Amino acid sequence: MTLDEVRARMKAAGIEIVENRLEMVRRLLTDALAPIHALDSRAARTLEPAVMFDAIRSAEPRRDDDDE
Amino acid sequence: MTSDDLAFATIAEIAARYRRRALSPVELTRALLGRIERLDPTLHAFVTVTAEGALADARHAEAALRRDEDGNPLLGIPVAYKDIYATRGIRTTAGSAVLADWVPEDDATCVTRLARAGCVMLGKLITHEFAFGLQFPGHRFQPAKNPWSLEHMPGGSSSGSAAALAAGLAHGALGSDTGGSIRGPAAFCNIVGLKPTYGRVSRAGVITLSWTLDHTGPMARTVEDCALLLQALAGHDPADPASSREPVADYLVPLGQGIRGLRVGVPRAYFFEGVDAEVEKAFEEALATLRDLGATVTDVEIPSIQTSWAFLAILMAEAFAYHERDVRGHPELYGDVLRERLLAGGLILGSEYVQAQRLRSRLQAEMLGVLRRTDVLVTPTTPKPAPTFAAVWDPSFGFPKSNMAPFNMTGLPALAVPCGFSAQGLPLSLQIAGRPFDESTVLRLGHAYEQATEWHGRRPRI
Repeated sequence: MTLDEVRARMKAAGIEIVENRLEMVRRLLTDALAPIHALDSRAARTLEPAVMFDAIRSAEPRRDDDDE
Repeated sequence: MTSDDLAFATIAEIAARYRRRALSPVELTRALLGRIERLDPTLHAFVTVTAEGALADARHAEAALRRDEDGNPLLGIPVAYKDIYATRGIRTTAGSAVLADWVPEDDATCVTRLARAGCVMLGKLITHEFAFGLQFPGHRFQPAKNPWSLEHMPGGSSSGSAAALAAGLAHGALGSDTGGSIRGPAAFCNIVGLKPTYGRVSRAGVITLSWTLDHTGPMARTVEDCALLLQALAGHDPADPASSREPVADYLVPLGQGIRGLRVGVPRAYFFEGVDAEVEKAFEEALATLRDLGATVTDVEIPSIQTSWAFLAILMAEAFAYHERDVRGHPELYGDVLRERLLAGGLILGSEYVQAQRLRSRLQAEMLGVLRRTDVLVTPTTPKPAPTFAAVWDPSFGFPKSNMAPFNMTGLPALAVPCGFSAQGLPLSLQIAGRPFDESTVLRLGHAYEQATEWHGRRPRI
């Protein structure tokens, strides 16, 4: 990620970061996003980020209001 | 027993002395408050010392012991809490100017559980700002110092918890761990820290950093003491949406069962990148000890381990979501490092966050696959010993690579245990991770290793 890309994202998000800290932010984002940008989304096996239910115990969503 | 011996005694030893009437909770609490008064002006482990409350707790425990209500091994044990655990009527700052004067109306569930177990609360321990920043010179709160070397960091973010334990200022403490914040400080301060399985210990009443990655857990000077604390903390909490209903195991009985036949996996890729030679040597010696104790040790592969660093995208995006209103509205209340880390989280795209969560799912599936063939995974807890404050305060110091974050990504239980010292006299640490909700095996291996070595018994010269 370049500093210009960081600035473009800042503009889109309405976020201000002082100029002398931009390099730190650039490095942080580069590290964080490297594995994500390396992912070929369609080649990866189906992966779900969504919440999963426990199929063994119950097919219903958890209800906490009857506990304890 | 000298006053130093008392300060560094284990929870199990203190409990035994209480029951023999060789020591009283009030006596011990007074001794620790005196020690805090003497040493904490140098160490800055505590933000708030609750002396009056501690003595009241101790008197209550003493009365319970006299009535022979001695079934609970934590009765009268002095503990302290990282200052992101809400404590009713006691200021809870999160190490930040944002909450500098916040006095919660309720206790965090973990605080309630240890209070019910009879623990004595000594006070609140400094944390890195909101468990994600740093205390730079000029920060509202002073950073905790490492009792092993005042020029070196005690780690973060549970810095006060680790410093207090290493200096003999408390017998147990609670930390929180989003990318290694229990295990890192434990590693740098020669103590034991456990990040339990995601959902095993309640996060209710603990200030959020990242909903996906946050864990709460115990810190102590021995594995057995961690097990004693975990036994009181673990269990379903309806106040925490991520809290598990999985039954709570017995964490103490298995400690004595040895590790003959346990299968230990060593993932070499990722975890050994940038590792210091002396860390690697201590680690290999630890493996030899585990083999001597009867475990089988084999190398294992986790194919997508290199994607672990996507954890940072999840952490930053979720932290920004939590702090957005305050950091946009009152940026001046945040320290420089934290403010920019949070704002950087606001630059992560929605699609990138989703991909990071998908990578987390894949890594979790792979680790569970490996843990079908092995019982535990072991790695160095940190690639290097504690850095100096001067090093981390240098603007070129980035967010360091973490051997601990993969277990936040996967939610698996992970323990840090002392495993040696560098030539400079700084502590080194072994990380042991296990299957979901199998803290028993993780603790069993840690305890067996600890009993076969003497690292955990060393004390810093303060």
